[in-house]
Amino acid sequence: MKLNITLPKFLRIGTLPLILILFMAIAFVVAMMRYAFGIGAISDLSYSYPWGFWISFDLFTGVVISSGGFLMAGTVYILRIKEFEPLLRPSILTAFLGYIMVAVALLVDLGQPLRIWYMMIHWNHTSVLLEIGICVMSYLTVLAIEFTPVVLERFPKLHKVAHLIHKFIMPFVILGVVLSTLHQSSLGSLLLIQPQKLHPLWWTPILPILFFSSAVTVGMAMIIFESTLSSRYFQRGLETHLLAKLAKGLPVALGFYLVLKFGELAVAGDLGYLFTSGVMSALFWAEILIGAVIPLIWFSIEKNRANPNRLFAGAVILLLGMILNRFNVSWFAVKHPDPLFYMPTFMGNVKYFPTLPEVAVSIGIFSAGIMAFGLIAKYFPVFEAEHETEETHAPVRRLHPAPTAADD
Amino acid sequence: MTDIKHHAYLFDATRCIDCRACMVACSVENNIEMDKTRIWVAGLGVTGEYPNLQRSTMVYHCMHCEHPDCMSACPVGAYTKAPDGPVSYNPDVCIGCRYCMNACPFGVPHFDYDKGIIDGAFIDKCTFCPQRIYNGQEPACVQTCPTDALEYGDRDELIKRAHERIAAHPDRYINHVYGEHENGGTSYLIISHVPFKDLGLPELPETPINEVSEKVMEMTIPFALSWGAVLTAVTVGVAAYEKKNGKGKAEQTK
Ligand code: SF4
Ligand code: SF4
Repeated sequence: MKLNITLPKFLRIGTLPLILILFMAIAFVVAMMRYAFGIGAISDLSYSYPWGFWISFDLFTGVVISSGGFLMAGTVYILRIKEFEPLLRPSILTAFLGYIMVAVALLVDLGQPLRIWYMMIHWNHTSVLLEIGICVMSYLTVLAIEFTPVVLERFPKLHKVAHLIHKFIMPFVILGVVLSTLHQSSLGSLLLIQPQKLHPLWWTPILPILFFSSAVTVGMAMIIFESTLSSRYFQRGLETHLLAKLAKGLPVALGFYLVLKFGELAVAGDLGYLFTSGVMSALFWAEILIGAVIPLIWFSIEKNRANPNRLFAGAVILLLGMILNRFNVSWFAVKHPDPLFYMPTFMGNVKYFPTLPEVAVSIGIFSAGIMAFGLIAKYFPVFEAEHETEETHAPVRRLHPAPTAADD
Repeated sequence: MTDIKHHAYLFDATRCIDCRACMVACSVENNIEMDKTRIWVAGLGVTGEYPNLQRSTMVYHCMHCEHPDCMSACPVGAYTKAPDGPVSYNPDVCIGCRYCMNACPFGVPHFDYDKGIIDGAFIDKCTFCPQRIYNGQEPACVQTCPTDALEYGDRDELIKRAHERIAAHPDRYINHVYGEHENGGTSYLIISHVPFKDLGLPELPETPINEVSEKVMEMTIPFALSWGAVLTAVTVGVAAYEKKNGKGKAEQTK
């Protein structure tokens, strides 16, 4: 058995990895500054705006775009629809890396990063954030277990262990789906405690259900998005027929989401805000149209589902809209009490707008995730069906992405 | 002073002269930097039209809610509500997530944005001066206030006193004691001559804000267990079905 990582080859880096490394380095420097001088030194967060871009992007967006993992695990293992198997491993890897990115981002955002594990020992059972913390930590473990066979298969001697894990995978899969359901929905519950701060177009007691149903649609779109991208990057075949099947489910899920969303507004008597709240109404319509209505129509048309480019375009539109939803709920539509009223201005910002270093941290972490995905997909049988690894491992693999057509 | 069953403050906005002595007293008593004061006094300037001019000042302060949202939200339980009133914060378990700042409807908890990992960044908020009130003294801010705009005492008694004062001068006050019922009741009560909204106070329902999220949290474990049971049943069912009908569609991609 040979390990093919040799230094001279490693030094041959393509443009994309180079850019990613650059972003990571910037984020690292900014994070060090934050650890030395405090969060205020690099961000625009203030007494009145304790949560900002990091929470909206790294936590809310990061978690929701990782939902493909539990969807695929559930489809392949629980419903035993085995034909989706080629999509399983990439989705689990995306989820795994996604959650690691969330955790890393929290290490920057928390005031006491070294105490992040306190969530395991100090429990306040009324706290939604505690539930999310525990679910995310446990789910990371589950994802690690689900992904280990892929790593082990890389080494022929460890195949037995991989088989063993595989035999006992079911309880973990079920646990993973339960944990995902819980924390995907709980991210919505996180806002339940701010009824007077979150705009009524978004605040509703069914926020957790809305969050979960939109997470399902995002998961499906993410699988389409990421399979398409990696098929281009690694120049391997795209399972268009599978993606088309998946996309067939999207209009149903989106329809369900829309009915819930508008049904709730009607029941709560908040329909009036749809046109009277200025910017808020506009944001609401933007997220609904881009994230749900347009994709619903798009994916209902069979021609769009059969064409990989159109599938990809539809997924991108859906993702943009749903991410806008997460930003709306956690940031744009949240109005904190006006600090001018009660706070001397020297004490805090009245407005919040993310600073460049703040965004740089998120971009750096995201780049690290993409980089890790690329490396792992290159060196481990992520895109290969189970138990076929011996022959498919060509002896020479190169880090440089371009000429890898021989891989598959 | 020893017969206080439920510690509380009463703030009378008509008496406040915007001297900010309470801010200074608090910072001195609790040894905190002046720009991190736990009390904010905000003069709202002159409002109304001549000759009916009004000026008002609000002393903003932790409300020591009866159902504190900060406490409900904190993942690690850094907040405690004493049965006799004070809501206190324990820096030893705080992880600095700032969820309490989001949860508090009054924007009270403040965070050390200027502290790095070595100093440690913590939350800061009014403690109700336990070192004083449990030794028979008034909180520092109350003791310093020259006009008795801030008063301290038993919650029930202060509510009674507030209503009496409003009844004695109906022309001077708005007929409402803010904090008697807001957010399920608070231990910092406010009476005022201008609408409470103008003082920057949120309009809150009588039911505690955290009721909805706490209900949802209660459903978590039962939901998790039943969802897990359903999934297990489906797994077993699908596997059994497949066995009966041969391998079926499982073959397709193998
Ligand atoms: S005012 Fe805010 S910080 Fe004070 S007890 Fe109420 S919720 Fe907690
Ligand atoms: S910042 Fe500290 S006190 Fe506030 S919710 Fe987080 S852990 Fe609790």
